[in-house]
Amino acid sequence: MTQTQPALSALLARRRLGYTLEAQFYTNETIFRQDLDFIFARHWIQVGVEPDIASPGDCMIVDIGPHAIIVARDDDGGLRAFHNVCRHRGARLLHTAKTNVGNLVCPYHQWTYGLDGSLLFAAHMPEQFDATCHGLRRVHVRSLAGLLFICMAETPPDDFDAMAQTLAPYIMPHDIRGCRVAFEEDIIEHGNWKLTMENNRECYHCNAAHPELTRSIFAEGFGFAPVGAEAEAQAERFHSMVGALHRDWEQGGLPSREIEDLVDRPTGFRTERLPLEDAGESETLDTRVACRKLLGKFSEKRLGALSVWTQPNSWHHFMSDHIVSFSVFPLTPETTLLRTKWLVHADAVEGRDYQCANLTAVWRATNRQDSDLVGKAAAGIRSSGYRPGPYAPDTESLVEKFCAWYVGRLKIGLGT
Amino acid sequence: MNETAEPTASYTVEFTVSKRTVTCDATQFVLTAALAAGIRLPFTCRQGICGTCKSRLISGLYDMKHKGGIRPHEIEQGFFLPCCSKPLSDLAVEK
Repeated sequence: MTQTQPALSALLARRRLGYTLEAQFYTNETIFRQDLDFIFARHWIQVGVEPDIASPGDCMIVDIGPHAIIVARDDDGGLRAFHNVCRHRGARLLHTAKTNVGNLVCPYHQWTYGLDGSLLFAAHMPEQFDATCHGLRRVHVRSLAGLLFICMAETPPDDFDAMAQTLAPYIMPHDIRGCRVAFEEDIIEHGNWKLTMENNRECYHCNAAHPELTRSIFAEGFGFAPVGAEAEAQAERFHSMVGALHRDWEQGGLPSREIEDLVDRPTGFRTERLPLEDAGESETLDTRVACRKLLGKFSEKRLGALSVWTQPNSWHHFMSDHIVSFSVFPLTPETTLLRTKWLVHADAVEGRDYQCANLTAVWRATNRQDSDLVGKAAAGIRSSGYRPGPYAPDTESLVEKFCAWYVGRLKIGLGT
Repeated sequence: MNETAEPTASYTVEFTVSKRTVTCDATQFVLTAALAAGIRLPFTCRQGICGTCKSRLISGLYDMKHKGGIRPHEIEQGFFLPCCSKPLSDLAVEK
């Protein structure tokens, strides 16, 4: 950043409500560092699902900008998270995405840590060396009904439990812990992480961009307001479905109504169980379940799709037969990792209960389309002609809420 | 109790990669016997914690007292830790 550019606090102060952010927020290295410090290092970040580390000794690694983290299952079945950095000379301990270990052994000089992070063994250190001062640096880790969150702050935001209390009854029936990851895909999007999130927070673009996804979903479930007679008729049909299905689902023990608290809390979130088109069973090309073996204790296939969003970096779709879980990790100011996991019942057998190609068809196509749109947005925003543009108030209000949350959290971080 | 001292059982341990065979008493750790015979094997903690000496056993029986340096699934796959294992029969080790 050159000296002539305004400071972040000035940029935040002059942000025009209802408009896209200024270009620096999507391109500038200094602001990217501040995003990592004030957003990613201080909030609850969704990093994976419990089936990623189902058994004692299972470890997964997560890189968030300069932060290298291990999330592990200890021998008592508990969750642990540490910085993936040896306390000796700083080497990374684990290098593969997922692995199973006995103890955590540094590949450099074999300093060995237990799954509780304590230093168990360090050869050649003098007698006065205090191993208890050289355990792995801990990171907070929590599970929300099977969704894994970490927080690198010493004192994490204290509203995780309140969020979990609200969201767990929605998610629990889908039994994430009883699932396994059937397929996992990493995509590197060519845009700032906020463009990936903003693109997710509206369905203005869905009709034109997502032919596969809009076979099953209604854009109205994601803040879209109809224009024109046909669209209004469709929206009316959607809202009457919501009314009838929410009643049925809630009577059947499945919380369904919208709860939205995206802006005014550190751990912002939104949820709603949304009807799906036609057969109404799943986000597939034919709107029917992709997996014969249903999740948890479900016997009813037509449970729509439970949408769960968390600030700053995740969204999830829970159906009767499978779950699609999305986590976003910033890589550089203008590249972002989108990690997608498709979960099925742990006992579901590929080829017998589901076909992987059918299970993943809709969201693999949708991810590619979204990735393309994020790249196009980023390309325009980095060019000199870009000026912040207006969000459609009736259709992009949830994008505005993402930006409002982001701006608010940065201001709090900066103390302005 | 007054037990008659049995002569300590002794077994052979064959290292198939280095093509060396050593003698190892039933009371001796496999790593100790190998090092005593001048075979150079990777090891660090010598107490079953770090797993540096993890090796694949081709044949034989052993008694291992490790401290978390190896996982049950690795043992099922035929791996063991020579640093904390004593032979119960002749062994062949892929090292």
